[in-house]
Amino acid sequence: MAASEHIVGRGIGNKLILLSVVLVAVIWMLPIAWTLLLSLKPNSELMISTASAFHPPYTLKNYTDIFQSSGVFRWLWNSAVVSVGVTAGILILSSLAGYGFARAEFKGRDIIFVLVLLGLAVPEQAVIIARHQMFSDLKMHNTYPAIILPGLSSAFGVFLMTQYFKAIPKDIDEAAMLDNASRFKIFWKVLLPLTVPAQATLGIFSFLGAWNDYLWPLISATKPEMFTITVGMASTQTNFAQSEGLGFLMAQAIFAGLPVFIVYLFFQKYIVRAVAGAAIN
Amino acid sequence: MSSIELDSVSKRFGSVEVISELSLTIHSGEFIAFLGPSGCGKSTLLRMIAGLETVNGGEIRIGGERVDHLPPGARGVAMVFQHYALYPHMTVFDNLAFGLKNIGTPHDEIARRIEEAARILEIGHLLQRKPGQLSGGQRQRVAIGRALVKDPKAYLFDEPLSNLDAALRVRTRVELARLHQQTRATTIFVTHDQVEAMTLASRIVVMNARKVEQVGTPMEIYGRPATEFVARFVGSPAMNFLPVTVRDRTGLATAVLGDGSIIDTDVPVDLLSAGGELRVGVRAEAIHVRPDGAIPGKVEVVERLGDRTHLHIRLKDGSTLVAEDTGVSQVQPGDTVPLAVEGATAHLFDDAGLAYHARQ
Amino acid sequence: MTDVTLSPGKAVAAVKRPTGASIGPRWTNALFIAPYMVFYLALLVYPLFKGIWMSMLESDMFDDTSKFTGLANYYRLFNDKIFIGTIWNTIFFVLMTVPVFVAIGLLLALALNRSDRTSASLRAIFFGTSVLSVTIVTIIWKMMYMPGNGAIASVMRLFGLEPIAFITTASLALPAIAVTTIWWIIGLPMMLFLAALQQIPGELYEAAALDNASRWRSFWSITLPSIRRTMLVVVIYEIVAQFQLFGQAQLLTQGGPNNASRPIVLFIYEQGFRSWNLGYAAAASEVLFLIMAVAALAQFFASRKRVEG
Repeated sequence: MAASEHIVGRGIGNKLILLSVVLVAVIWMLPIAWTLLLSLKPNSELMISTASAFHPPYTLKNYTDIFQSSGVFRWLWNSAVVSVGVTAGILILSSLAGYGFARAEFKGRDIIFVLVLLGLAVPEQAVIIARHQMFSDLKMHNTYPAIILPGLSSAFGVFLMTQYFKAIPKDIDEAAMLDNASRFKIFWKVLLPLTVPAQATLGIFSFLGAWNDYLWPLISATKPEMFTITVGMASTQTNFAQSEGLGFLMAQAIFAGLPVFIVYLFFQKYIVRAVAGAAIN
Repeated sequence: MSSIELDSVSKRFGSVEVISELSLTIHSGEFIAFLGPSGCGKSTLLRMIAGLETVNGGEIRIGGERVDHLPPGARGVAMVFQHYALYPHMTVFDNLAFGLKNIGTPHDEIARRIEEAARILEIGHLLQRKPGQLSGGQRQRVAIGRALVKDPKAYLFDEPLSNLDAALRVRTRVELARLHQQTRATTIFVTHDQVEAMTLASRIVVMNARKVEQVGTPMEIYGRPATEFVARFVGSPAMNFLPVTVRDRTGLATAVLGDGSIIDTDVPVDLLSAGGELRVGVRAEAIHVRPDGAIPGKVEVVERLGDRTHLHIRLKDGSTLVAEDTGVSQVQPGDTVPLAVEGATAHLFDDAGLAYHARQ
Repeated sequence: MTDVTLSPGKAVAAVKRPTGASIGPRWTNALFIAPYMVFYLALLVYPLFKGIWMSMLESDMFDDTSKFTGLANYYRLFNDKIFIGTIWNTIFFVLMTVPVFVAIGLLLALALNRSDRTSASLRAIFFGTSVLSVTIVTIIWKMMYMPGNGAIASVMRLFGLEPIAFITTASLALPAIAVTTIWWIIGLPMMLFLAALQQIPGELYEAAALDNASRWRSFWSITLPSIRRTMLVVVIYEIVAQFQLFGQAQLLTQGGPNNASRPIVLFIYEQGFRSWNLGYAAAASEVLFLIMAVAALAQFFASRKRVEG
């Protein structure tokens, strides 16, 4: 991996560098550690001073409170529905379109592909007012489709899958043609199984992106029962530190962060590969 | 098995014509090699027959039926690709079965055919493996097996041996020859390796720069090359070419080299067009070191091949040639040796590259 | 290969269904891209043009009508001190964050471009924060910045210093958001640089070591030239991304104090979805689009000239 780590005579320098990075990493962890500590303290004590977080007593009451009150579960469920919906939609649309742009010829295809690539340059903010208006006209706000559908227009997945399909040797398709397979069969049975690594990459990215998306769910979902966890956590911040208590809020933050953090830990290898792949292209 | 007829087929990529009005008949059961350097259009021609390239003009018929508008799968041919093109995620069994399933072959028939092909190709123990777990040679066999199970009208091979190491290539060559002798299947074999073409094919189609130079049996191609290109491309070492003037020797041509020495060819003088420069073409095995040799030459490099020796020689006028000597040749670099040329096997080439041979 | 007798067997009906794919263009092939194109046209292309159209309308909240006003919204925008302020705030924010993303991202990548477990864990830590949502990140950092009970305030008191109210001080609000942002997503540039570093053949460094090149010299003459392209990717990506600053500002400072930390997107959000000046908000969003396109293009051409020259 590292290009020069084994070169003789650089051991001490390398160790010093690593040591300083470890120090930075510890500082990096402090905000999370602080949040974790606060979440384990009774709200009444924190009202007096947050310094009490450094010594016992600690309690899990803030976490058990989440299970009893608050819309956190509803919001987590909404986030799960939205994220799974966006991910599934993007995977299906991008795989089909990626195969189409990479392999299935038709008149005007290359021009359309360039137009789709231009779509990558359009930021969400440039279309969000009009999108909001469209869903208003259809009276669709505060529904799952309204939160999910705009995410499916992103050209990123199409671009990624097109690149991936293009990298598969063409003689595989040709062998399948000689084996009398139809266009769809070549896509479905022969090439799609070969794109599993790209599907994993795109899937994780889409899932995390949808889970953490803030602006669109914020303006589309205005009823608390339709909040995603990201929007819901924002709504609790506005009455910050007062009504529900600091410790409870921190516990919510930790709890809300857990699902993505678990996804991250499980799929770390894929995420790293995905970022690396995006960089090299 | 079926014949394949190409009737003045043409192919353009954009405005570049890569194959122009090419006609060719491949008889049923024949093993034909398309031989030529890379970029000569031989692979394109094969892919046109397979249906993997569009045809811009002319007709292709397989077994008498016109196919050039049919999709690849409907032409009833099987192809073995240069990089094998096995389906990486399928087992060997599924690789072989895929094409049969697609045309609705019954399961027991699929199993029977795969079993038989596996027996012939000795890949029975590999059927449940994935291509990634196979060696290059094993993949090659699976690729051939995938063609075999389809019982196709014709087999198309696109440089199938070029990815094997030297030893395996020779072995597979022999196996392909044996397989063809037993199946008698119409086969087209694309290669840039003249040894593969010579050893495998019943007829060779030599192509260069998008056109056919010559069609003939291996010995016709070797013994009576139609053009200078064929003469240079086939045979190792390449044929020697020396500029000559021609004298009439009772109807046959005598070639006079630059240093004044002569080669008595059997080429009829009346075939030669008047004017224009001529060259004599002689293979190394027709030039020997003999005490009575009439042409003196200085040896520059001695290549020992064991059974014979190639001598790279410079003549007095500066031209160079390769001569053949016995395996135990005593000749050393720097020696001046007398050379004798067997004029009976010499050919003459005009400045358009056309060849003139002795009467048969 | 012995005993080859391909027994004739049961005759298989020759190509029962000639359904196999053909080469060459076929209109049916367009069916593969059709589903995506529906979404692309309906939810990206159409709203893009509808947005431009809307930016030229003045909507009336009360009877839900609107009338065409040409470039009036744009004219109003450029006379709106708050909007001009948001542009400067956003540019200031980009200038604060992008160089840091490049510098720290590259430093971390250089330090952690090793194959041992410690480096792997450290990479996981620095990248791990990027998967958190903006709302969680801002909750965490509010607890850091709070003047009374915040972690930083506590530490300052420990050293006998007067705590600073970061998010309510005009000059410190935007830098505080910048620090939070860097903490949040430094992992991405780090990973991009790591990927680029791993593309550099190890032989180059070995050759340099044999040529007595110091670590510093190797960095200047091998590493930097090899990752120029990634550097460009990171810079452009971060410019575009940081121009879209929204959640951190909305949740940490609400754009305050006195608009000191209000970015363009927050302005668009508030005009569009708090005050319901849709046309005005649409015009602001087109301006943002334009600025981002120009910034990215300028950077792209500037870097390309340098790379080629």
